[in-house]
Amino acid sequence: MNTIVSTYNLSKYFNGICRVNEVNLTVYEGDIYGFLGPNGAGKSTTLKMLLGLIKPTKGNMVIFSKNFNKNRQLILSQTGSLIESPSYYEHLTGLENMRILQRLRNVSNKKVQEALHIVRLEKQQNKLVKHYSLGMKQRLGIAMALINFPKLLILDEPTNGLDPNGIREIRELIKSLPQRYGITVLISTHLLSEIEQIATSVGIINDGNLLFQGSMEQLKAKNKAYISIKTQDNNLAKKILLTEGYKFKQNNDRLIFEDLTDSHIAYLNKLFIGQSIDVIRIEEHRKSLEDIFLELTGKERSL
Amino acid sequence: MFKKSISAEWLKLRNSRIWLVLITLPVISILLGSINYYFNQGVLQNEWYSLWTQVSLFYGEFFLPILIAICCAYICRLEHMNKNWNIVMTSPVPIRSVFTTKLIIIAILIFIIQIFFLILYFIVGKILGLSSQIPSETIGWILRGWFASLSISAIQLRLSIQIKSFAAPIGISLCCVFIGLGMYIMEFGMFFPYSLLSIGMGVLSQEGLTIVENIQFFVMNILFTILFSSFAIYRLKTADI
Repeated sequence: MNTIVSTYNLSKYFNGICRVNEVNLTVYEGDIYGFLGPNGAGKSTTLKMLLGLIKPTKGNMVIFSKNFNKNRQLILSQTGSLIESPSYYEHLTGLENMRILQRLRNVSNKKVQEALHIVRLEKQQNKLVKHYSLGMKQRLGIAMALINFPKLLILDEPTNGLDPNGIREIRELIKSLPQRYGITVLISTHLLSEIEQIATSVGIINDGNLLFQGSMEQLKAKNKAYISIKTQDNNLAKKILLTEGYKFKQNNDRLIFEDLTDSHIAYLNKLFIGQSIDVIRIEEHRKSLEDIFLELTGKERSL
Repeated sequence: MFKKSISAEWLKLRNSRIWLVLITLPVISILLGSINYYFNQGVLQNEWYSLWTQVSLFYGEFFLPILIAICCAYICRLEHMNKNWNIVMTSPVPIRSVFTTKLIIIAILIFIIQIFFLILYFIVGKILGLSSQIPSETIGWILRGWFASLSISAIQLRLSIQIKSFAAPIGISLCCVFIGLGMYIMEFGMFFPYSLLSIGMGVLSQEGLTIVENIQFFVMNILFTILFSSFAIYRLKTADI
């Protein structure tokens, strides 16, 4: 697989405070890379560094196998982006906004219309942007990012402020980009559900540190099942388990077992009953992605 | 490619109210100047030259530098709003041309205004019944005034790129105008961009510049323009957005 983006020890300090700490990002061609983290984790800062909007304090960036600092223009010519809130000149029409980018990026009229078509703004293209709804502005932002159908599309929280319908629409659009146009997408979000639905690769960042990076399958493999058992007399049960050499943890009134086979469960059940300990519950649990995320970020806070 | 960047920049001025300001300020200067001239014809007997002393005093000394500051602040305000610097700075154009296209756009605007002012001057002169030929020096004043505008534009652009407020850089330009007046009186005018404008436009003295002074005028302006343009480009290259 070709690497589209790699960063090496990318770091950014603002007034001596570390906001992005030695991040090594790897985005492969054809990926939809979900860059996940709570607000203020350093997502936007990282993405802005990839576009040259923020200058790294330390580290290197290689995009399309080229060093960013030495090939800024070439890299930017093949990169589309929507950073923070969408940018636009509100005293101009949607089409005029597109025309500005068209001139800066040397794009054909056909592509301008195609980009407007994809986000379904053709009918409103001659309206002043200040009269657009938030959703339309967001869609214009995406059309502007897509204008030259770049190799790499960087989207920072693209569904912010959209209604559920708009969110679904944008998601479907993003999902279709790699196959339809060969675009690699790097998308940041603080919504786990969003990543779950569209990403093929995931990077999880918190407090400026990249905590996890890998494919969606690798992340999901982390949500292994575990067994919890509740008995009438947990103290006695624990003694028995220790003498039998089982590894377990206690969580409230449950005994938690990882890697317990069916035969072991049956054996334990028999053992407890043999010692007159009533077994009240034997349950299988599966960690949700959310649990994994909270485990990684070590925070029980809302995303 | 550079031409396209300029046309992209030009497109941003569409539907904008800046044109209203651009037209109003020269008109006000001409009105104030010609009213002054009209009521003081007793002492102002040098026809076109006397009229020039009056209209150019308001225009070249105050309204033009402020107009330049307004243009620069406006052009940068378009980018400060809605974080449009993100669009500009992720475009595949050299950072230096992000600045130079803006400077060129302002130079074009000021040039249009200078010509507009010249036409107003001519019309008002005719209305006031000036019978002699319009002096040929006026072309020189207008062109040199435009040339001196470049260094002021570079300074004002540098300020407005950094300062998000619309009014602050204009306030600074007003201060510089007064400092410039002082520098001119102390005969250090050649070393201060805002006084160079007075010198170039023949505001306070209509005596032509000597060849040496002319060379000095152009060299100083070129130096100031290059110096402040480099400051601005350096800022764009190094500052976080």
